[in-house]
Amino acid sequence: MQPSRRAPARWLAVTALVLAAAGCTPESVTEQGQAIYNLYSLFLYIAAVVFVVVSGLVIWSVIRYRRRNDELPTQTHGNNRLELIWTAIPTVIVLVLFVFTIQAQNKVLDSPGEADVNVTATAFQWSWRFTYEGTGAEVVGGPETIPELVVPVGQRVRVKLVSVDVVHSFYVPQTLFKRQAIPGVTNEFDLTFERTGLFHGQCTQFCGLQHTDMVFRVRVVTQGEYQSWLAETTRRGAARQPGT
Amino acid sequence: MATTELPRPALPEAHHEEPGGIVDYLTTVDHKKIGILYIFTAFGIFLAGGVLALVVRWELAQPGLQAMGENTYNQVFTMHGTLMIFLFAAQVSTGLANYLIPLQIGAADVAFPRANAMSYWLYLFGSLIVFSSFFVAGGPAAVAWTAYPPLSTEYFQGTGMDLWIIGLSVVGIAGILGAVNLVTTIFRMRMPGMTMFRLPLFCWGVLVNQLLILFAFPPLTVAFVLLFMERNFGARFFDVAAGGNQVLYQHVFWFFGHPEVYIIILPIFGIISEVIPVFSRKPLFGYRAMVFAFFGIAALSFGVWAHHMFTTGVVYLPYFSIMSLLIAVPTGIKVFNWIGTMWRGSITFSTAMLMALGFILVFVNGGITGVMIASPPIDFAVNDTYFIVSHFHYIMVGGLLFGMFAGFYFWFPKFTGKLLSERLGRWQFWLFLVGFNLTFFPQYLVGLDGMPRRIADYQIERWTSANLASTVGAFLTGVSVLLFLWNFVVSMRRGAPAGDDPWEGNSLEWVTTSPPPHHNFHELPEVHSERPAFDRRHPPSFPGEGADTDPERDPDRG
Ligand code: HEM
Ligand SMILES: [Cu+2]
Ligand SMILES: [Cu+2]
Repeated sequence: MQPSRRAPARWLAVTALVLAAAGCTPESVTEQGQAIYNLYSLFLYIAAVVFVVVSGLVIWSVIRYRRRNDELPTQTHGNNRLELIWTAIPTVIVLVLFVFTIQAQNKVLDSPGEADVNVTATAFQWSWRFTYEGTGAEVVGGPETIPELVVPVGQRVRVKLVSVDVVHSFYVPQTLFKRQAIPGVTNEFDLTFERTGLFHGQCTQFCGLQHTDMVFRVRVVTQGEYQSWLAETTRRGAARQPGT
Repeated sequence: MATTELPRPALPEAHHEEPGGIVDYLTTVDHKKIGILYIFTAFGIFLAGGVLALVVRWELAQPGLQAMGENTYNQVFTMHGTLMIFLFAAQVSTGLANYLIPLQIGAADVAFPRANAMSYWLYLFGSLIVFSSFFVAGGPAAVAWTAYPPLSTEYFQGTGMDLWIIGLSVVGIAGILGAVNLVTTIFRMRMPGMTMFRLPLFCWGVLVNQLLILFAFPPLTVAFVLLFMERNFGARFFDVAAGGNQVLYQHVFWFFGHPEVYIIILPIFGIISEVIPVFSRKPLFGYRAMVFAFFGIAALSFGVWAHHMFTTGVVYLPYFSIMSLLIAVPTGIKVFNWIGTMWRGSITFSTAMLMALGFILVFVNGGITGVMIASPPIDFAVNDTYFIVSHFHYIMVGGLLFGMFAGFYFWFPKFTGKLLSERLGRWQFWLFLVGFNLTFFPQYLVGLDGMPRRIADYQIERWTSANLASTVGAFLTGVSVLLFLWNFVVSMRRGAPAGDDPWEGNSLEWVTTSPPPHHNFHELPEVHSERPAFDRRHPPSFPGEGADTDPERDPDRG
């Protein structure tokens, strides 16, 4: 009896730890993604608590109230006050979550004024074209080449996203952000990278035969490197990036 | 509701041959046999869909393309989703409903027995059309189960896609017909004394589920017809070049697609709400709240469809977000009321009960991640990744399958007069619980790390271990399903006799024989509460106790 009473508590503690340690997203590399990261963490903590409480109650009740004899337990049909409480608590929780959601969303989708860099990202079966507005620089991917979106660190990059055929989706995992590229729709969003590096990107909306291969990269470089890359690429006209 | 008794539809003519013969099943209009046909067909499709799932997992066990090319992979996952969602998930509960609803309401059959047979045969026929696409040139559709145009129209040639559309439309129509029948049955065929608020919760779950079908399947059928016209007759509804609108398809599809999730899960909620009280030896806690929660979920479920479109950038996010978040409230009520039912109960760990408990735990997990992705910024991160795959499998595999098995273990004795082996059942349960979590928990993690869904290969090495674990788990899950089949076979042959009421059940099906006679009942007890079978075992010692004599609770017949 004693050990079996203890066991659920220990089990729950372990679950909570595993959830907390394993269920985290990678930290974001953009300013906008940081807001998502924080929101996600908040949701995760509340979720972990809810999960632990609910499964704790389930496990506790089945162990505590397992059948011991043939006596019929008291036939309770309900309890209005209790039921009101467990209607009210989730309502309050989701309303609070909603408020935080709206705050984060405003940060993520905020695009004040002019951006520092304007890129049109064109999705096509099955690669990407990045066109740098007002410069003539262009990067095109193909079956053999993975296109690279080169952007300067710390500057606001505005992506105009379009598709020329089917629905695709622009996704860079480390920005914690994606957006569909829909024929006939121009989607716009801002990314402000906070550190340099090379990041994996991929189409996430199933778009036909080679959806799997529709990858790209984002290379975030310093301001100076960006300027010389831009000048070089503009000079060469449409440059095909060598696969890295 | 009016109290006038409608004339009962003519009962099916008595069959004289031995029940269970092939001819008998081919010509039957008996709801029980049709229910069995539904269950067998749906379960067969589940096995086929399960094999396809294992093929997917086999391919993804390691990076690189080992077993197949991209085209085959795309066909396999498309057909996996298609079989599971359209042809299995909603239908298996329709089968249980067909069998059980008339029994639970004390009727001899459903309202329209012939239409009932017709919906089954249409369902089978439509499913065969979908299966036939495996054998045409080019093979089956490879457009994902959501079939977004223009991929599914202009960019995907091949008869496979047309057969997909036609077959699923036929199945959709079968569903609408079946829904008309079941809804009418529940409203019109209840025995005297069986008021709406004395219906077993499974009936409520099925009622709301079938109402959702009535509202959600017509738009789906429309979407399919538009696709078909665009593919074959030059219509351009979704083609931007001709002034069409791609997003329109997404709206119509998800207007069906989200309620579909609840179409799948509501009867399962019903099953759980039957199983838990019986094995806790207590009445369902908060009966009315449970019923209102069904309606709350159903109503909200039509207001949340665009949470599947947060990343389109063209929907109003706050509205769809708050509606989606709010669904957690009625869902939470259900979970807490189940716990309230077990609290201070007297709990027996039969396999059915274990499955129900497994259901609660995994369903809560899937529900919680559902709350997460109801928040648009979080959805921006995880939409179309394995996080989503994991989330909905926690609902579909975890929720639906645990609930379905709970139902199978619970009612198999009623269907056959024999018990399934509890020993094999426990093995199946634990293997399923472990295998399932091993399959899908790692997918949350790779999903958070950015692994997209619907890809045949992944380039990122660090995703390998999670994928390998997931594949091992999937095969364990497969073994557990095989154990069930084994259990079924041996129990059919030499299962222990069950008697009429092996679990001390609550609802009317437990007062008749196992299996029930052709017209279901030789005699019916009076119904004074939502637990007529219980009342018969435990007659109230003074008037008013146990039995529910509150006139307020008798709104239909009062
Ligand atoms: C235990 C058995 C199952 C396993 C191992 C499994 C595995 C998978 C995997 C790995 C995928 C992702 C394929 C991809 O994105 O490339 C998938 C997709 C899917 N599964 Fe399952 N699944 C199982 C059972 C089910 C059930 C019971 C249902 C529904 C009732 C279901 C519905 C779906 C759907 C709708 C998709 C999405 C297909 C698409 O993206 O078009 N699965 N499954
Ligand atoms: Cu794609
Ligand atoms: Cu939904």
